[in-house]
This record gives sequence, structure tokens and C-alpha cells, in this order.
Amino acid sequence: MRQPTMETMSVGVIPETHQLEETEEDLTAGTAVPWVVIVWNDPVNLMSYVTYVFQTYFGYSEAKARTLMLEVHEQGRSVVSTGSREQAERDTVAMHSYGLWATFQTADA
Amino acid sequence: MARAFRKTRRGIAGEFEPGELRLLRRLFADVVQLLETEKREDEDPLAALIGLDLEAVKPEDSAVIRLLPDAVRNDDDGALEFRRLTERSLREEKVSALRGAALLLENPQMVLNPDQSQVLARALNDVRLVLADRLEIKTDEDAARLHGIADLEDAEDLESYLALVYNFVTWVQEGLMQALLSSAGPSD
Repeated sequence: MRQPTMETMSVGVIPETHQLEETEEDLTAGTAVPWVVIVWNDPVNLMSYVTYVFQTYFGYSEAKARTLMLEVHEQGRSVVSTGSREQAERDTVAMHSYGLWATFQTADA
Repeated sequence: MARAFRKTRRGIAGEFEPGELRLLRRLFADVVQLLETEKREDEDPLAALIGLDLEAVKPEDSAVIRLLPDAVRNDDDGALEFRRLTERSLREEKVSALRGAALLLENPQMVLNPDQSQVLARALNDVRLVLADRLEIKTDEDAARLHGIADLEDAEDLESYLALVYNFVTWVQEGLMQALLSSAGPSD
């Protein structure tokens, strides 16, 4: 993502929740360990675009989308979705279709 | 010079000069060319139909790798297997967005609905990923270094000309995103 110093990329107030909602989605029956999709930081994707993708694709609120975007930007990575393996695969391909750099793995990997 | 996209009652409005439109359409076409794989004669037509490419290998061009990255880390076999199942569809999806975006930019003035805006945003983003790879933008500092190149007079060589183009496409995309974010998405 680009440097946050650009005026157009000011991000306003950091939302209060940094907690990831790991339990938000049902896990497939019989799967003990959930799968996660991780989005990795890069210097190209705009913060505004990344926020837009998280809102549009996952249906996250603006606050949650911004929290995840800032996590990617500041910590280098963020878990953006949790669920079954099939869901993680679908979400990863979707992130690639938007041009975000994403991978999937088991949550305990 | 183009005016930044802005939200209007009819949709997201943009305005460009003919030369800017030609440049953007040309960039979309360049990325399409990078993404389109040569058809192999021995290809299984059924596999192609359902989006498989069992012969797919990791691309050699670093820009194409950035467009079609490994979906699994630290597991080359796993990443390759997943690539064979998904890469062809992903290429086709990207090509379709790039072609659609070129169609949206045929006239100097345009009003886009949210879906069209998204198609354009995806295409602009893929163009920026490719340009960034050519410019070797690997860190935020690299991006900042090139940010000052904003005028044709600053462009003295191929790299600075590419940087100028990169900054222009960034400016277009950022304007589009600001207009989109102010008009869409679930609110809190």
C-alpha cells in the first residue's frame, strides 16, 4: 500500500475493535481446525481500495474493513476471513481477482 | 488534465482528455497481453471449459506472478496444485475486467454505476501492479521516491516516464475510490 502520509489516504479515527471475529462464521462440521485467509501488505494497493474490497466482497462494515486494512498496512498481514477450507479457497481467489496478495492456511499453521 | 472522479446523483462521473483515454486503454491492452496464455494444441477442451489447466506452471514474469500469486505459502507443490485448478479462471476474469474497463473509457466523459466503477477499479489496480513491478516498487519508501514525478518535464528516461504513468494511474484510481467509498458500502 502507499505511504499513509498522502492527504488523500488519511484514515481518520482508528476503529476500536482490533479483535478478529474468529467465531463469526460457522465451521464445517467435523473440521476441528478452521482455515484462514491472510492478506499481505504491499506498497502498491491503495488503502482506500483495500478498504473498499473488504467492504464490498466480505460485506464488512466500514469500521471493520478499515481495521483489517490498517492491520495489513501496519503489521504486514491480517486474517480477513475464517471458515471452511472451501470458503478460504474461494476467498483467496477472490482477493487475487481484486489484485490483493492473499494466501490461505489452517488457523494453527 | 482529467478531472478526478466525483459522485453525482446519476453515478460516478469522470472526465478525461483523449490522450489520457488512449494511454489508459493501451495500458489495459498491455496487461491483457501479459495475461493471455498461448493456446496449446494438445489442450484438453473439457478441462479448458471448466477452467482447469493441468499443465499450468508458475509464471516466469514477476509482474504476472504478482497478478496471479501463489495462494499457499511455503508449499510449492500445494501452490502449484491450486494454480492448476484456479489460475485459468482468474486470468479470464482479469482479462474480462480489463476489456470491460477499456470499453468504459471510450468517451471523454463517463458516468459509472457501482458495478462499472468496480470493473474500472480492478483494471486500474492490475495496471498499477504491473507498472510497480517494472519500476521495482517493493517498499513504501520506493513508492514515495517516485511520487514526486508528476510532470512530463520530470520524465527524462524510461523509468521516470513509467513513474509518471504510474502516478497518473494512481491518481485516477484514488479519485475513483474516494467517489466510490463516499457512495457505497454498508454503514456502521
